[in-house]
Amino acid sequence: MTAAAGILAHNTVVVALGVAAVGFAAGVVGSLCVLRKRALAGDAAAHATLVGVAGAFLTTGRRDLATLLAGALVAACAGLGMLVLVRRFTRTRDDAATALVIGVSFGLGITLVSGLPAWGYANSAGLEQFLLGHTAALTARDAWLLGAVAAVAVAAVAAILKEATLVAFDAAFAAATGWPVSGIDYAIVGLVALMVVAGLPAVGAVLVTALVVIPPVAARFWTDRVGTMVVLSGLIGLAAAAVGVAASAARPGLATGPLVVIAAAGAFAVSFLCAPHRGWIARRAEAARGLTVRRGDDEGEAGR
Amino acid sequence: MTSSTLVGDLAFGLGGIHAWAMATAAVIAASCALVGTLLVVRRMSLVGDAISHAVLPGIAVAVLAGGRPGGPLVFLGAVAAAMLTVWLTQGLRAAGGLTEDAGAGVVFTTLFAIGVVLVGLAPPGTHLDAACVLYGELAFLPFDTISIAGQPVPRAFVAGATVLAGLVAAAVATWKLQVFTAFDPAGARMAGIPVVGVTTGLLAATAVATVASFDAVGAVLVVAMLVAPAAAAELLTRRLHRMVVVAMALGAVAACVGYLAAWRLHTSAAGMIAVVLGLEYAAAAALAPDDGLAARLIGRVRLAWRVAREDRLATVWRAEEAGNRAAARPQTPHEAVVVRWLEFTGHLLRDGSSWRLSPAGRREAENVVRSHRLWEAWLGRHADLPLDHLHPPAEWVEHHLGAEMRERLEADMDERAADPHGREIPPEA
Repeated sequence: MTAAAGILAHNTVVVALGVAAVGFAAGVVGSLCVLRKRALAGDAAAHATLVGVAGAFLTTGRRDLATLLAGALVAACAGLGMLVLVRRFTRTRDDAATALVIGVSFGLGITLVSGLPAWGYANSAGLEQFLLGHTAALTARDAWLLGAVAAVAVAAVAAILKEATLVAFDAAFAAATGWPVSGIDYAIVGLVALMVVAGLPAVGAVLVTALVVIPPVAARFWTDRVGTMVVLSGLIGLAAAAVGVAASAARPGLATGPLVVIAAAGAFAVSFLCAPHRGWIARRAEAARGLTVRRGDDEGEAGR
Repeated sequence: MTSSTLVGDLAFGLGGIHAWAMATAAVIAASCALVGTLLVVRRMSLVGDAISHAVLPGIAVAVLAGGRPGGPLVFLGAVAAAMLTVWLTQGLRAAGGLTEDAGAGVVFTTLFAIGVVLVGLAPPGTHLDAACVLYGELAFLPFDTISIAGQPVPRAFVAGATVLAGLVAAAVATWKLQVFTAFDPAGARMAGIPVVGVTTGLLAATAVATVASFDAVGAVLVVAMLVAPAAAAELLTRRLHRMVVVAMALGAVAACVGYLAAWRLHTSAAGMIAVVLGLEYAAAAALAPDDGLAARLIGRVRLAWRVAREDRLATVWRAEEAGNRAAARPQTPHEAVVVRWLEFTGHLLRDGSSWRLSPAGRREAENVVRSHRLWEAWLGRHADLPLDHLHPPAEWVEHHLGAEMRERLEADMDERAADPHGREIPPEA
């Protein structure tokens, strides 16, 4: 009874709704990213956010979510900027450059966060929650902020969906017909950075990439239409976020992020296995039917 | 108190703890750099990233099943988890049509999430907690010792050194196979090399190096130790065996420097090691002898300066040819600087309000003009360009033709000593 009351408490519900909205928006934004075959574009941004969270706290001394997330967004963009610079000015290849930015920026973030207590910031505890996500610490105000960011991201996707689809499926044609391909790519990556930052409080820097990768990949199994995929991906992200928040409210000891990711992975597993046409079972069934038919043909030929 | 424990106590005195921690970090970093070099040249850096996350559930299951951190069961669990990651990623690509990065993004995040939950479920006192997963606890490792020849030696150092020795032995034994597979997989397959086996071995080695690093630096920062030293070494040398040695050295140095810096600043050693690795990479990118940023910048400046000098000398030469010295006067401040410099080095001589060429300046100028006019003549003859299109390419090429090339161009000229504009081509100076 008390557990039920705890789960249904007003704050918990508002936080769950805010995080669910972020899950929806992340799924929507992630669809563009996955269709453009840049699934891991957000990972470098995600690992860089920790530097921004610690940096925002160190420079302003404030711990409210808006300040910390603003710092995280700056750091995410700086991380992506470093990636662009490494690619442009060295002969390090893309994969190594990405791994480099992930490792080094996360190391800097850990260094800053771990050093805070020794540098005289007694009340720094709490920044670690951005590593693996911790919704119990969020307030209703924070949830409204997250919801607003999610709404902005969804509106932006709605605005560029047609162009982004064109670029994702035929970048050469888009460029030839005069669309600003690199501008649209930057917009997609920028939106991913925004959603990575918005997902930070609930899912944490280490796993937040999953929020923009798993729902669209799962949604892709159900449909061949971009509009349907975007909405479905959003709904999968929403459900995963809601389930994760509810589960962590039931087991307060566990970080929220892993639970959200496991919920999304469950949706992925179901999609991978059970989706019609593209799902594994449907494909096996189709392949078996195809084999039967072909075998029948062979027998027919042999009999002739 | 026997003498051997006395020595041990002394070794564990004020500097001893730090020495052991640095030694542990250094052998771990060297192991990671060795494996990471092969990952980087094979463009598998992100596979290393995925494996370093995905070993967590393997470690957690092994610990929950009673394995000791750093023990054989944990290594087995981690290698199994790494193989599972690769198998799942490839399976999703084959059976679900996912791109490799999307598949890896699904698999390693999911496995890491499962690992974190398993760690959260572990009973207290099992030597696994969320902080250890993310940061490692390098500073505490020297206190968990085993006795070797009567001396207390940190268990983590023994494990790390064993792993390093094993990986070096494996790398030396299979070096040619690894190199062949890395740079020409199709050729290696044709030559009968078990490419899949070689790749699997590399992935297993990645898992082993990751587990050896896990207690010290945590799961997430291993990727910096795998990739950063190799990426930096790749900028410094182009030979693979040198790259491995340089990467291992960079890793070990960063481990020691990072540990000391973290100790001075009272912060996470693992994080600081990653930061130092990043600084090493930045230094390599800036200062690499051949294609570092500084070397390329200096090369460009020197080229621009040489072009400016040669253009000025050629201008004075042409002005003298036309009998109009005034035409050689510098028009811009930049040209004026170049003229001052040429005067200082004795290539130009001041002559009232204008300049004339010294013998040395004349020699150089004649070769530039000769290059220019030979190139115009050659283009006019072979490239079928209109007369007014010959000058711009020659204006660039004149700075890049050596004596040998001029000789070949002249041999092609059937003894016409004039360019297409009818001006004389000066002889080789």
